Formats: sequence, C-alpha cells, structure tokens
Amino acid sequence: MKPIFKQILKYYLKYLTKLALFFHRPMIIIVSGNSNKYFIKEEIKKILLKKGFDVRANPKNFNTEIGLPLSILYLKSGYGCYTNWLPIILSAPRAVFSEFPKILVLELGTSAPGDMKYLLSIVKPDISIIYSITQRYLDGFPSLEKLIGEYEYLAKRTKNLLILNNDAELVKNLQIGANCKKIFFGLEKGGDWQVKNIKKNNKGQGFEVYLNNKKYKDIQINKFGEHHVCASLIGLIIDKQFLNYAE
Amino acid sequence: MTFERIKNLQLSIIKQIEIRASKHPNAISLAQGIPSFDTPECIKRRVEQAMRRGIVSKYSLSPGLPELRELIEESLSEEGMYYDWEKEIIVTVGAIEAITATLLAITNPGDEVVIPEPTYTSYREVLTLAGCKTVFVPLDEEREWAFNLEKYRKAITPKTKAIFYCNPNNPTGTIYSRDQLLGLAKLAKEYDLFLISDEVYKDFIYDSRERFSLAQIPELREKVIRINSFSKSFAMTGWRVGYVHSDEKNIQNILKVHDCLATCAPVVSQFAAMGALEMGKQDTLKFKEAYINRRDLICKRLDKLNNIFEYIRPHSSYYVFPRLLKEKDSWKFALDLLDNIQVAVVPGIAFGPNGESHIRISFGRTEEDINEAFDRMDKYFIQKS
Repeated sequence: MKPIFKQILKYYLKYLTKLALFFHRPMIIIVSGNSNKYFIKEEIKKILLKKGFDVRANPKNFNTEIGLPLSILYLKSGYGCYTNWLPIILSAPRAVFSEFPKILVLELGTSAPGDMKYLLSIVKPDISIIYSITQRYLDGFPSLEKLIGEYEYLAKRTKNLLILNNDAELVKNLQIGANCKKIFFGLEKGGDWQVKNIKKNNKGQGFEVYLNNKKYKDIQINKFGEHHVCASLIGLIIDKQFLNYAE
Repeated sequence: MTFERIKNLQLSIIKQIEIRASKHPNAISLAQGIPSFDTPECIKRRVEQAMRRGIVSKYSLSPGLPELRELIEESLSEEGMYYDWEKEIIVTVGAIEAITATLLAITNPGDEVVIPEPTYTSYREVLTLAGCKTVFVPLDEEREWAFNLEKYRKAITPKTKAIFYCNPNNPTGTIYSRDQLLGLAKLAKEYDLFLISDEVYKDFIYDSRERFSLAQIPELREKVIRINSFSKSFAMTGWRVGYVHSDEKNIQNILKVHDCLATCAPVVSQFAAMGALEMGKQDTLKFKEAYINRRDLICKRLDKLNNIFEYIRPHSSYYVFPRLLKEKDSWKFALDLLDNIQVAVVPGIAFGPNGESHIRISFGRTEEDINEAFDRMDKYFIQKS
C-alpha cells in the first residue's frame, strides 16, 4: 500500500470511528502489553457473552492504527490490495450508524513511540488490562523507558479500572500516576487476585484462585501454559467486577 | 573412504528427477511439490517492513520469535489444539528440519519406526541418518489407500519407537479418518509409541471430510508430535519455515537437537511466517480453489489415458498417484517420459515398495503446464502404440 493512500485511509477510518464511538458510547475494555493479548481478550469476550452482554472484540490481532478502527466498525481488512479496500471504504460510513455493541473488548498494540498516543486519540478506555512489558518490541524504541512510557500513557488515560500483573515489576509500577481504581493479579507475588497450586494434568491445568488471600474458586482449564492461567484469572476478575461498571 | 552414517543415504528420488529435468531446457516438471504461486504480497510486505526496521539480521531465540510462536499457538487453538507457545512450539527450518530434529531426539540407533507407505520419500532417509530401521506397512489401495490396523500391530516389535505418518498423505492424497487415527492412537498407547504426524497439506482438503488431528486430544499430547510448515499453505517453499509442537517433555528434547542443527529458523522467514498467519489465510483459500480446478483438470486428462493409467481421485494435497497399467517399473516409466517428451514425474517406488507401478504427478503447477505435459503424453502414447 502506498504511504499516501495509507495516511488517507488511516485518518478516514479514525474520524469515522470517533464518530461511531461518540454516537453509540460503548464501554471500552482495553487489553494491552507485549504478550498474551489475544487469549485475554478472547477470555473476557467469552465471559461477557456468557453473561448476556452484547460484545465486539478485535478479530485476529487487528490492534494497530488501521486494524483498531476496522475492529470497532466491524469491517474487514483489504490488506495491500486497493480493489479490496474500495468496498470497505464505501461501506465504512454505513457502519457508523449500524447496530453497535454495548461493550468493546479491544487489543491495543505498540511497536513504536507514539503508537499508544495515536490509538488513544481514537478510544477512551473504561477498563485497561496490562499483562506484560518485555523486550519483544524493543527494537522499535530508542530505550526501554520509551516503551514503558507507552503503557504509562495508557494507564493514565484509563477512566475506571486498571488491572495490572503484579508479577511483572514494570507493569506493577504503572499504578504510579494512574488516577483510577487498580486491581493486581499474579501467580508468584500475589496481589488482590492470586493463583496457587497450578497442576498440569492430561486435560489441561487445574489451579486455585484466591481473592484477598481467601480461597475463591478451584478452576480447571483445557489449555496449557501459565499465560492461560492468567487469562482465566483475568476473566474471573472481569466476571466479578464488571456489573459495577455496566450499571 | 566410507562413512558409516551416510553409506546407506541417497539423495531423494524426487530431487534426482528434478536435477535430471533441469538438464532439459523445455522440460515440464510435474515432479516436485512446488506450488506455482508466488508468496502472497501481504507476506512479502510484512518482510519488507521488518527489513526496513532492521530487525531481521540477528538470531532469534532458538525456539523462534516469541510473537510468531504466540501466533502459532493462536492458530492451533482455532483448530482445537492447545499448546503453550513458550514451552511446546519450536519454529523450524521447514518441516524437514522438524522431522530430523524430532527423530534424532526421540530415537536411539537401532530403533524401528513404522511408516505407512507409499508416503513421503524423505522420511526413510532421515531415519537412515538417525541410524533407525524403517519398517514399512503397506496402505490398502483397494480401500483408497486406507490404514489396516492389524498390519501395524504385526509390524510392531520391542524395538519400535514410533509410528510416523503423513496426513493428508503425500503422494496418495488420502485423508485418514478419525476412526483410523484413533485406532493408531490405541496401538501407540498399548505399545508406548510416539505418533509423529506430518500435516503439511492440512489446508488442501477438497471435500467435506473432517480435518482431524490426534494433536487435538489432550490425553495424547505426550504421545503425539505434530509437524506443519508454511511452504504449501502459503506458497513459501523457498522460505524454509515450519514448526513442531507437542507436550513440553518432548519439545524440550527436540529443542536441543534443533539448536545443534539450525540455531534458529531464518529470522527473515519467521517474519514471513508471521505475515502468513496474520494476513495470508485468504490467499490459502484462493490456492485451494485453484488446486480443486487443477485436480479436476488432471483427472479429466488421466481419464483420456485410461489404457495407461488407473487412479484414485485425490481428496487432498496436490498430487495424484496413478497406477501404471502396462509398464510396471516406475523408474523406467518416469525416465522414459523425461528422456522422450521432457515431462518429469516421480516414480512411485520413491514412496516405498508399495508405490512401485505408480507415478506421482503434481498439480501444484499451472493449468498450462498440466495441459502441455498431458498433450505431450497423449501424443507420445499414441506414437508408442
């Protein structure tokens, strides 16, 4: 795609998306961090759908400057093909006034300084979940501080609730300067919500969930790896917390 | 000077045929399984972007870029397979490196590995390299190249370490049913065997048959080692990138061998693989449509030569594996075609003893190539008779 076309498309989709959000005013839940966004997003979506909420989430990993508006407006991507983009561009204004969900669960990605600022000029998060800050996308940043700065920006602009990984020191520190309620979760260091006694079995993983040091629930999931345990835990947090914010 | 490890190795017959064909300037090769398509633009753009950012020149972690492995885990979960990207997935230099690393990791010299045949030629060579004995078990051509479980049971000895199969099968285009695969799994449990499942053609199934993998069953995850590649699904044969996944107990051993063999898969190709998983699925569907048309074309052309060939219509992959009705020596038949009309096909013997008296014809090539090859064959067989 030619840079000029990309720029025009980017701003066209941005302003249509802002118009849609202004018009429909959905609740916005952001999932961010360097890893595990997809599975956390899917878990939250599953929980909210089960509770009967009308939810829309990014398909695949549409979490960047063009992918995010497409997700919100529920449009396909034309990828690099101009002819594919044409019907999408034409149908985008109609998407603004079409049926719209009450809740958006959106992944936000950052691979260069300023990405988060741009994305947050489109969406204003009610709830943000930040799972990890690793060196994964550090190549796009002049320093680790600049990468952390992207997530600080998100934390500061979250309106109601910030859910942070207590096991990841850099993520935990994002609480500083954030003006909303915070909930901490973790496996090793605990927090408000903690997982203990993870046991791998031939059906997946079993574990115990503790809320404020009191046993809350035994959970069995059919997926493997600690990141799924965390996704499941975040699902529980949303499950318990969510109604307060939906009112 | 003789080197023990390689004294029984040979260059795969498919590659031998390709080398011979390359000497004929007007040769049409329906031999090697190379898609006629170029790698989709979206994948190339993803690579260009990564190159411009200067992030492809360094080694990745040995198991592969975390973001790619996470994407692989996501795509596996869409197919009902749950594997932890951090501990249970390795990005490899194509499927063949995954196969080599796996066999070197899970066998000892002298072990036996049971292989249904006819099947992909290179399995035998890798097993020879690993010092293992290949035990072929014939598929039943009368039952559309299906498994006969009793034959497997008979082939298993105390030295058997694994059953290694390709599903959908190359060269027959057979898809093994859930029942057949569960039967194999039962045997594997009974005799404590690994099941190595090479599924590189999984995206090219041409009817409503179920796409089932034993890797979907959590209880089997310590037994099943599944191999896949980007080569066929995304027309990326030259990029050399694939992956292997299994329970971490197996993967951590395979990782040690992978590190010895490759350090890591080429990072530039890993970015291409990311592009494929992020944006390439529509292209795979387009390829599949084209292969269905080509399969139908090749079957029509084979129908016209029904005095030379008899075939089972393939349900998957991009190969047809016709039986030769007159000439029984498949090497002789293939060389005859190459030398006289410069059409390259693979002799069936390359795929195991049960493949003799057959040839493999690829419909990965364009319709023009297929038509030209068959026009030449039509003329040649008329002249010959």
